[in-house]
Amino acid sequence: MANDNIILSIKDVHKSFPGVKALDNVSLEVRAGSVHGIVGENGAGKSTLMKILSGVYEKDSGTVAFDGQTVERTTPVESLNRGLSIIYQEFNLVNTMSVGENIFLGRFKEMGGMRGTHAKARELLDSIGSTIDTHRFVEELSAAEKQMVEITKALSFNSKLIIMDEPSSSLTSDELKRLFQIIHDLKQRGVSIIYISHKLDEIFELCDIVTIMRDGHMIDTKPVSEVTRNEMITKMVGRDIENEFPPRAHCAGETILKVSSIKTRKLHDISFELKKGEILGLVGLVGAGRTEIIRAICGADKVKGHAVSIGGKPVKIKNPASAKRMGIGLVPEDRKLQGLVLPFSVQSNIAMASLDRISRLGFINRAEEKAIALRQINNLSIKTPSPMTKAVSLSGGNQQKCIMGRWLEINPSILILDEPTRGIDVGAKYEIYVLMKQIVENGGSIIMISSELPEVLNMSNRVLTICEGRITGEFNPEDVPAQTIMDAAIG
Amino acid sequence: MNNQLGIMGKRVWRLLSKQKAVLAIIAMLIVMLFFDTNFYTSYNILAMLQDASVNVIIAFGVTLAVICAGCDLSVGSVMCLSGIITVQLINAGVNMWLAMLAGVASGAVVGFINGFFVVKQRTEAFIITLGMGMLMKGVCQHLTDAHPISSKNLDFMKLANGKLFGTIPNLAIVMLAVGILVYCLLRYTSFGRNCYAIGGDYDVAKYSGISVVRTKWLAFVLCGTITAFAGVLLSSKLNTGSSIYGDETALMVNCGVVVGGTSFAGGIGGIPQSFVGIMVLQLLTNCMNMLGVTPYLQVVCQGIVIVTIIWLDCFGRKRKREAV
Amino acid sequence: MTRRFDLKKIMMDNLVLVVIFLLVIITAIVEPNFMSEANMTNLMRQFGPLSLVSLGMTFVIIGGFIDLSVAGIISLVAVVTVALIDPLGQVNALLIGVALGAGLGLINSILLLTCGAMTQAEALFITFGMSSVYSALALIITDGATLHMTWLTTPQTIFETIGSGTVGVLSVSFIIFLVCLAILYVFQGETHAGRSISYTGGNKVAAILSGIPVKRSMVIIYTISGFMAAVGSVVLFSRVTTAAPIIGRGFETNAILSVVVGGTSLKGGKGSVLRTVLGVLLVTLLSNCMNLLGVPPYMQVVLRGAVLVLAIWLDNRKEL
Repeated sequence: MANDNIILSIKDVHKSFPGVKALDNVSLEVRAGSVHGIVGENGAGKSTLMKILSGVYEKDSGTVAFDGQTVERTTPVESLNRGLSIIYQEFNLVNTMSVGENIFLGRFKEMGGMRGTHAKARELLDSIGSTIDTHRFVEELSAAEKQMVEITKALSFNSKLIIMDEPSSSLTSDELKRLFQIIHDLKQRGVSIIYISHKLDEIFELCDIVTIMRDGHMIDTKPVSEVTRNEMITKMVGRDIENEFPPRAHCAGETILKVSSIKTRKLHDISFELKKGEILGLVGLVGAGRTEIIRAICGADKVKGHAVSIGGKPVKIKNPASAKRMGIGLVPEDRKLQGLVLPFSVQSNIAMASLDRISRLGFINRAEEKAIALRQINNLSIKTPSPMTKAVSLSGGNQQKCIMGRWLEINPSILILDEPTRGIDVGAKYEIYVLMKQIVENGGSIIMISSELPEVLNMSNRVLTICEGRITGEFNPEDVPAQTIMDAAIG
Repeated sequence: MNNQLGIMGKRVWRLLSKQKAVLAIIAMLIVMLFFDTNFYTSYNILAMLQDASVNVIIAFGVTLAVICAGCDLSVGSVMCLSGIITVQLINAGVNMWLAMLAGVASGAVVGFINGFFVVKQRTEAFIITLGMGMLMKGVCQHLTDAHPISSKNLDFMKLANGKLFGTIPNLAIVMLAVGILVYCLLRYTSFGRNCYAIGGDYDVAKYSGISVVRTKWLAFVLCGTITAFAGVLLSSKLNTGSSIYGDETALMVNCGVVVGGTSFAGGIGGIPQSFVGIMVLQLLTNCMNMLGVTPYLQVVCQGIVIVTIIWLDCFGRKRKREAV
Repeated sequence: MTRRFDLKKIMMDNLVLVVIFLLVIITAIVEPNFMSEANMTNLMRQFGPLSLVSLGMTFVIIGGFIDLSVAGIISLVAVVTVALIDPLGQVNALLIGVALGAGLGLINSILLLTCGAMTQAEALFITFGMSSVYSALALIITDGATLHMTWLTTPQTIFETIGSGTVGVLSVSFIIFLVCLAILYVFQGETHAGRSISYTGGNKVAAILSGIPVKRSMVIIYTISGFMAAVGSVVLFSRVTTAAPIIGRGFETNAILSVVVGGTSLKGGKGSVLRTVLGVLLVTLLSNCMNLLGVPPYMQVVLRGAVLVLAIWLDNRKEL
């Protein structure tokens, strides 16, 4: 049926989520025994594609064939048994169990009990040259060791194809070398690898073929030897950005926020300044410490050496409530878990941060509460049947605008946006960009985190790159090419 | 060999450092050295084991539920129910062993219903089992009119009150047997390992092909069954079935399990830990008895110990969360 | 199709009202005594203590926590207040008793805050432990004996009024309930603190990040719960004119039962004191009706347990 050289073939796969087209007409072929790189920014559809392959999501249309057999519907367990393993960024391991048992999770009896489990786990670990003790608990392992366990687990299923999602994101360079060695060995054994990464160096060093994805589309698939680095970056980020972003605002004034040497478990000596009327972008990989920086500023996490001054005056920010009083608002990363109170009305969600202001002697002025909600619904054109509609029933973009409205109502001097456009459609994105521009034009300042590079580059006046908990560079995105910034962010 | 010893040593140390309960026991043992009491007599220690045995057996059952990230607050009522059913059936002339079997089966049924709500319907375990406990308490009172009923069969009474070789109480032996059984179940069977996996990470377990629903459900059924077994033993020990026992058993046992270091988050803990946890509370009572502390003051102390240990447990997690 | 669905939804949302309605009609038909004045007075009296305790519990559950210590608080407050009537006079005793309740609640909240307990399960065990401490203290104070108010020498007019006084057709205890209800209703809906409690229960992380005083809310909910338990305790021992050191036993589960049956979600955030009133009404009516209909007393416990399980289950299904 299929060419027996092809281990995985995907044809015309579509997948949409409410309001977002996650995969649009995606086709891909992976040759047996090759290392196939997939590059693309966050939101390009890589993880959706993986989840369809593993059976966590179901595709809307299209065909998938693995190892010569067409796969219609599948479950994660079935695809494992078929020989397709996925190693996610957040490891799929039970922290409270031993290494050996994790490798053979759910197959205790087949392995002949505890002794057999550990013996076979030892054998497999040895086969990739790892010395991890099979009796150790996973929670004590380093990220690199966990990855070894995941790889071993994949091998234990006799996997023909292993998909690795950003495997290098938490590895040191030595550990990375070991990983590459292991991938080479696997390749020798005839195991195919799909290697998903941001880091182009790794792609060039490791992969035979590379596929570039963007916005749910397959842009190009080429042998690595035939592409240049620049070409790849252009294809990853390059798109028609004429109408996608409003023109940049230029109204930066004097310094409003000054942060000097914040330290936490994940951050080392973070210092920077924010100017009035400026949009400051923080660029870095997931887990590089971007979110930790803003959480530290807002007092959501405990920090050492906390020296923050606002408008030239040193301040002590104990918690988000005191940050709010000093005019700092945070639109968090995960709007459903951290932002909204989903079962509450749009009105309550918008008025949430203004509770102090609309209260007199502890009593809430309901008329004012309603006025606030209506004002923000109008200003931000939030599409909701009424202010009393539950937040859970709004679309992603409108939910995000509710949280923005919540903070705009207190007129924050500093607004922090963590992934403000994640998972919302293009139209709503543009509205949020326009909104950001209005905020800075009215004298506010914005710190913005985004995994979508074009967004940060086109919106920010200044960009800081974060890597492994340190600031690795400061750039003006108008002067510096995207590639330089990306390099700095990758470290 | 040396390496193995090292691993063993590390594991013992890990167990100890996580086991505030062991430290509490050691502290109590040391304190008792300074008082001239009958504490350090084989009679007292055996009596203490016998007293503790029913609660310890229940704790073994509850451990199963807690390891699967559940908990069972209906155990107090299940304990009463099985005892009452057994005694009533014996008095009605049913064969003693059959009656006991029926008592144990009643626990399995309650466990099954608990499992249905918790696993199938995804209801919060502690609140639904609290409700089931209340319901079962009513059933117990209804069955007995809230009067204790004594069994007329002397053989039944001998079961739990007898002593092997005239020294070791039967109950302690049964406790040991159940403990070993559940320990092996948790340690050497795929069911047991799957319980740990489910408690450790439900989704990972599910995606690894473990039948999560069936396993967790079974854990609840076993928890009910073991509890009912303990209830039968209690009614044999006291030769009575009554609805007034076990008002505090449920929370006491669940607390004991946590005190021992089995975590409500699931996936951590085991039989030895639960044994130690219950023994802390038992030892505390025993020490206070020996020292002549009045019964009410004993309850105060017990409450304070429970609150302190759970407080420390939470506080440890908070420290871990907020570590800089 | 849509309309049928809506009807079902309306029925589900107001299930308690529907059940109360059916219960009243059926009992009134089967047992005409139900509508008699004597039974109504009786009903009002029974309503008192439980409703007060449940009102306090409502805030704990809206805030996403739980409080098992009310049983201990009720016992301890009853014993302390009665014991203090002779040495300090009735007014002082009453004030100290109520303050004691609030103080014990405050202690609970401080324990929870200092150890960073954020989940219902953690709160459950800590408050359970505290409950046994409070109950045992009550037992120690009286040495296990029951205090009879008839033994006291000081006048106890306040407690007599609370226990058996009436204003027009309403009993004094019912008026106390109405006053508390009105205050707490306004507190819940119209005040900063009340709203903060809802936000806390609705989504703790979002509340913290939006600058809602979550810690203060925790202190407030447990203090209210302790205070209302104390008020309930006073009403209770005034009615029965004795203070047994185990007088509060069972109140914690009944209060949780009433709150959940009323429709306040155990997941936090959603609920109201009015719903709780319906819940208490249903629970009290249920036992009143079962009494009138001659249901054996222990069968009543079974049925009450069944209602609780059913209510928790339905509460959970609504979320699905």
